[in-house]
Amino acid sequence: MTEHMASFPILSCMLLAPPAGLLLLLCLRDDQKFLIKAVSLVAAGISLALAIYTFVAYDRTLGGLQFVEKYQWVKTFGITYHVGVEGLNAPLLLLTGIVIFTGVLTMWELESRTKEYFIWMLALVTGVFGVFMSYDLFMFFLFYEIAVVPMYILILVWGSTRKEYAAMKLTLYLMAGSGLIIPGILLLYSSSGLQTFDMIRLHAAHFPYWTQRVAFVMLFFGFGVLAAVWPFHTWSPVGHVAAPTAVSMLHAGVLMKLGSFAILRVAMYLCPVGFHYWAQLMALLATVGIVYGVFVGLAQTDLKYVIGYSSVSHMGIVCLGLATGTVDGLNGSVFQMFAHGVMTALFFSSVGFIYDRTHTRDIHQLGGFSKIMPVASAFFITAALCGAGVPGMASFWAELLVFIAAVKVYPVQGLLAIAALVVGALFALRVVQNTFFNEPNSKFVHFQDVSPFLGLPRMILISVLLLFGFFPQLMVGTIKTAIIPFLQGM
Amino acid sequence: MNVTLFGPELYYLGLALVFFCLSLRRTPRVKTDYRIALVLAGVGMLLTACCLFQHGYLFYKAYRVDLFSQIFKFALALGLFLVLTISHDLAHIEERQQAEFYLFLTTTIIGMMLLVSAVELLTIYVALELSSYSLYILVPLRRGDGIDVEASIKYLFIGAVSSGFMLFGLSYIFGATGTTYLAELAPKLTQLTQSPIGLIGLLLAMSGFFFKLSVFPFHFWAPDVYQGAANQVTAFIATASKVAAVALLLRFAALGAGYGYGFTKALMILSIASMTLGNLVAIIQKDFKRMLAYSSIAHAGYFLIGILTLREAGYIAAVYYALAYLVMNFTVFMVLSEVAADGRDLKIVELGGLYRRSPLLSMNLILGIFALAGVPPSIGFTGKLLLFTSAMNSGYFWLVLIGAVNGTVSLYYYLRVLYAAYFKDDPGLGPIILSLPSRLLNYSLAAVIIGFGIFPDRIVELAKTAVHSVL
Repeated sequence: MTEHMASFPILSCMLLAPPAGLLLLLCLRDDQKFLIKAVSLVAAGISLALAIYTFVAYDRTLGGLQFVEKYQWVKTFGITYHVGVEGLNAPLLLLTGIVIFTGVLTMWELESRTKEYFIWMLALVTGVFGVFMSYDLFMFFLFYEIAVVPMYILILVWGSTRKEYAAMKLTLYLMAGSGLIIPGILLLYSSSGLQTFDMIRLHAAHFPYWTQRVAFVMLFFGFGVLAAVWPFHTWSPVGHVAAPTAVSMLHAGVLMKLGSFAILRVAMYLCPVGFHYWAQLMALLATVGIVYGVFVGLAQTDLKYVIGYSSVSHMGIVCLGLATGTVDGLNGSVFQMFAHGVMTALFFSSVGFIYDRTHTRDIHQLGGFSKIMPVASAFFITAALCGAGVPGMASFWAELLVFIAAVKVYPVQGLLAIAALVVGALFALRVVQNTFFNEPNSKFVHFQDVSPFLGLPRMILISVLLLFGFFPQLMVGTIKTAIIPFLQGM
Repeated sequence: MNVTLFGPELYYLGLALVFFCLSLRRTPRVKTDYRIALVLAGVGMLLTACCLFQHGYLFYKAYRVDLFSQIFKFALALGLFLVLTISHDLAHIEERQQAEFYLFLTTTIIGMMLLVSAVELLTIYVALELSSYSLYILVPLRRGDGIDVEASIKYLFIGAVSSGFMLFGLSYIFGATGTTYLAELAPKLTQLTQSPIGLIGLLLAMSGFFFKLSVFPFHFWAPDVYQGAANQVTAFIATASKVAAVALLLRFAALGAGYGYGFTKALMILSIASMTLGNLVAIIQKDFKRMLAYSSIAHAGYFLIGILTLREAGYIAAVYYALAYLVMNFTVFMVLSEVAADGRDLKIVELGGLYRRSPLLSMNLILGIFALAGVPPSIGFTGKLLLFTSAMNSGYFWLVLIGAVNGTVSLYYYLRVLYAAYFKDDPGLGPIILSLPSRLLNYSLAAVIIGFGIFPDRIVELAKTAVHSVL
């Protein structure tokens, strides 16, 4: 892979803006609520602006790894600070920027323990940015853990619905995943004999057959826990339901993508032979996840559970795309990570708003909610349409690409997944109907609809979905610059 | 003989004399004594830091001063100073015995300093006993309901038994090689690789340090002593004492290099047993100090991972982790002793509402606990990953896997502490007011835990230079 050094440390600035905001927050008092939110918003805004800049300024004709920064970190163990942008992670950095920015806006009304909340949220997002831009395994894992751990406190303190159980379950599941990742990573590090954690150099090492098989399966399951690969998904709906709104947004929108991105970037990139050996299993688990997520999710009556299970099935699509190992499949998979991230953020953001007002997420209680709050309901309905894969939305193209590839490579699984999604779309429309177009619940009639300012984060998310829905080439073109060399390298 | 080489030890010997004189006073003056102790310990720490790059031999080559020993001496001096910073209110120790508390802490430190420099078997034994006996006295100093006596008797008995094992092992080593100098032992032991006598001798000889480090099966004292001793004494045992034990284990394990797999296998079993047992039993503990005791047993297992690689990288990782452990474990104990200012034993649930009573302390509790659990960005994470890296590089795949799984298990009980501090409703206790020095201490500990976790290079390079003299 060609590397183009950065003339200005843009990526470091993107990475350091949230922790800088965090340090500022530490100096503020807990009752300066407006200032706290403003500082968080500015920090998130800087990251978002830089993420947009890197996405736009990424030179597609040049390709390769751009904006690279590389410094020695721990010499004795061959650890470097190595960050860069290519077609694979540029969309995900953009996604992270969008979700954190809208996440801060969504939590504008938060009143309890505001300062601590934003401190932990910024810590979490630092980890996410770090993972997406790292090209050093050690750093990658370090940021991965930073992104995972604050969830415990965020859910425990600000969550709802069985939060103690959910927080502990989520943390232990993800840490158990880490228990597989550490040996997997170290196995690659030591068997390469290169004394380096640099992924690009490790990629050239060509590990022996058995090492690849063992390492791949450990990394796949380890990261797969976070990507909610069936049967390790059970923490995810519970966790999403318990988490506060912006954390659900970040978690379903961005954090789960860490898992699938890591499978792509670490497991598949470093162990191509191992990938080919286990690809069948990956496809199978992904298909089970898709079907299972659709059917379980639509039997739920809590809106957040519905979204939680739909995430399981959408992440299954991502995994299915990865398992095909083709240009279209990977392309669709990365696109789906982006589209699903924005879409779920929109889902949780709109449900969060409804819940804040009505204190219920029960489908039947809400009844004909669109007659009471038409705008707030419209946000949710848009997300549901996107989830059902309606043309004109970003996820339509992503799912299309994945299914084209999947039907070619794994006909049975591909067709099954498509059938599940069609059925799922039908059911999704029924959820929408029951929630928004039945008889309105008289308890909620007096509520005001969403104000333009509070609606702003959802407007941003919708416009992103539409932008990439109408101009998919903006995204696909960038991703493609990385996919082709990626597959050639395998 | 160059006296400056012996500088730190002489200084602490003088310090012990000062405390001895203070302890003779008819009416104790607690505040004055404390100030004297704190200032003198601080000076001692600076002095030890100045002696960091000395090297040479003393006492017919039985005593070696090099970067390795000096780093550990500095860690010990730092440990003493830190423990004294939280000793401003020794609520559970009789006022007229407080000077003796300082006195015996100092003699322990002298013993440990001698220990990390000693390169001759008998010197090592004498130094070890000097530090142990002082601790045997420190444990029952607590004014209590008999729990302290039980603890100290257990400590004494298990200590005596492990000393017996150690002497027995030393006699084997001497019998097999005819020398007591480590430098001469190493080549002779390598020749003995076919006979088990050297191997058994070495393992038995190491049991004295296993006891100090609370490695399975010499761990039985830990929970009772941690709970029974005064909080400050426990903090000292949990930090400085462990560091000294790691230093000596590193020296001794290097002798076993010639025995290859048999020797490392024995250490591997001890390591796995320690971490698994420690982590599993810690889950059911309700008393904070008992939980930390089991956590220390688990950490003894982690230390052994680095030691049993018998390679440079493993030794570097072990040294780094030992220094990290000193800081992170002390941080937790500092929070503990501030919350339990009256010197009582703290239940985990009694941390309830800490986030409101003192945000600073609760922040440091999070940092300390996360560091112990190996969560980034902290020295604990970096140290643990370096340990695992070195073990994997030496081919111990299963050991790393078990260690990583243990890390997950341990997270459960560490998170319970955070759960109590962050989420449990407070029982209506008032805020904890920290003095200015305490606040500064808090900030600097937080800075060290995060700073050296993110930028470990300086320490790793120092450790690298240091371990050359051992291997």
